[in-house]
Amino acid sequence: MNFRWNLKTCLFGVLMLCAGCLPIPEADLLPGAPGDLQGCFAIFPAGPWECIHKIEAVISEGVSSSLLGVTKGDPAGRNLHTVLLTPEGFILFEAEQRKDTISVLKAVAPFDSPAFARGLMEDVNLLFLPPEGGPSKWGRRADGAILCQWESPDGSRREISLSTVRKISLRDSHGNLVKEALLRPPFVEGLASQMELRAYKPAPYRLMMTLLPGGS
Amino acid sequence: MKQCAWKMVLFLSAVTIAGLVAAVPGHSQDWASIKEASSNIQSVKAEFLQKRHLQILKDPLLSEGRFFYLASGSLRWEYLSPLRSVMLQKGDNIGLYHFSEGAWKQDMTQAVEARRMVLAEMSQWFQGRFEESKIFSHVYSPGPPGRILLAPKQGINRFILGIEIVLSERPGVIDRVEIVEPGGSATWIEFRNVEINSNLPSEIFDKP
Repeated sequence: MNFRWNLKTCLFGVLMLCAGCLPIPEADLLPGAPGDLQGCFAIFPAGPWECIHKIEAVISEGVSSSLLGVTKGDPAGRNLHTVLLTPEGFILFEAEQRKDTISVLKAVAPFDSPAFARGLMEDVNLLFLPPEGGPSKWGRRADGAILCQWESPDGSRREISLSTVRKISLRDSHGNLVKEALLRPPFVEGLASQMELRAYKPAPYRLMMTLLPGGS
Repeated sequence: MKQCAWKMVLFLSAVTIAGLVAAVPGHSQDWASIKEASSNIQSVKAEFLQKRHLQILKDPLLSEGRFFYLASGSLRWEYLSPLRSVMLQKGDNIGLYHFSEGAWKQDMTQAVEARRMVLAEMSQWFQGRFEESKIFSHVYSPGPPGRILLAPKQGINRFILGIEIVLSERPGVIDRVEIVEPGGSATWIEFRNVEINSNLPSEIFDKP
């Protein structure tokens, strides 16, 4: 009896471990209306823009920092310019992106590592620039939410889902969430007044961003 | 860390100067009088409007706040908008906090050590010992309006081109501080409702 119970427990554990390695099954999409695809692009600002955000960065519960973020972008050229400041106005980090080339203009420790620059610019791209090209698939989920999905050559994918909340997700090739951003209304010239970005891999953190007046 | 410390001068120099200049008895005073007057300062309380000019932005980034200073070695520099944050210094202890989700939270910023280093340097200024500064050389222009020009020495000039303090006509009060950085960025801090040697409760330096 005890042996059988142990065996069952062991099998259950193995199954759970295997389940953790399996790709998350993709839900079938129902055909969407022509405007649905446009909706996926409409969550990003269309023309050149600049914005200021109040940012609370939470690395773990009880460990957080308050910052200001200034970002300027031009979706047509896929250009970005971003500055991270302390509340006093010190520039901690400043970088420019021209298409795929990132140039770090200023970086103060501990914000001076290449990994930080890569991660931050990935966040800025995720939040502010629409994915390049057309989606690999798009349509409606069974619950009525619009879903657009872009798959990269490495198997990772970016998803935009539109329901009562607007969500941008980045998944790895196994379908596991890497980053996820929730965009909350009201929207001011294509910019959400509240955004929450949760990063899960490689290191977890959370950014709560509030749009401040002053950008355009 | 050292680079960060020098950048902190941008902010802390303004704070320190504000304290020092608040003791100036009048803009027509000579430099020796300013130094002498600085020894009479016990406390300063003021509100400020900060304008941060960045090349990336068309319009400056505006912040409002207030500060409290005790000559015995306590400082509270607080931003009320757009972020609520506060730096508290009491002796050697420095704490940084931000207000979020209805509560004050300790800030994880790495710059506490840098702030301590710079504050130690700046304590000389509070006592009017400008000549001993390893960071700035100074020039006083009696005006009107009276101005103190601080020129960075070697090393720090990568981060600050100069600091100008414009004195108010009201004795003991400054109008503004302007900090100019290389690359076209600058910070203006305008002071208002300055109170000198008023009683400041010690709790404001203990808790956010």
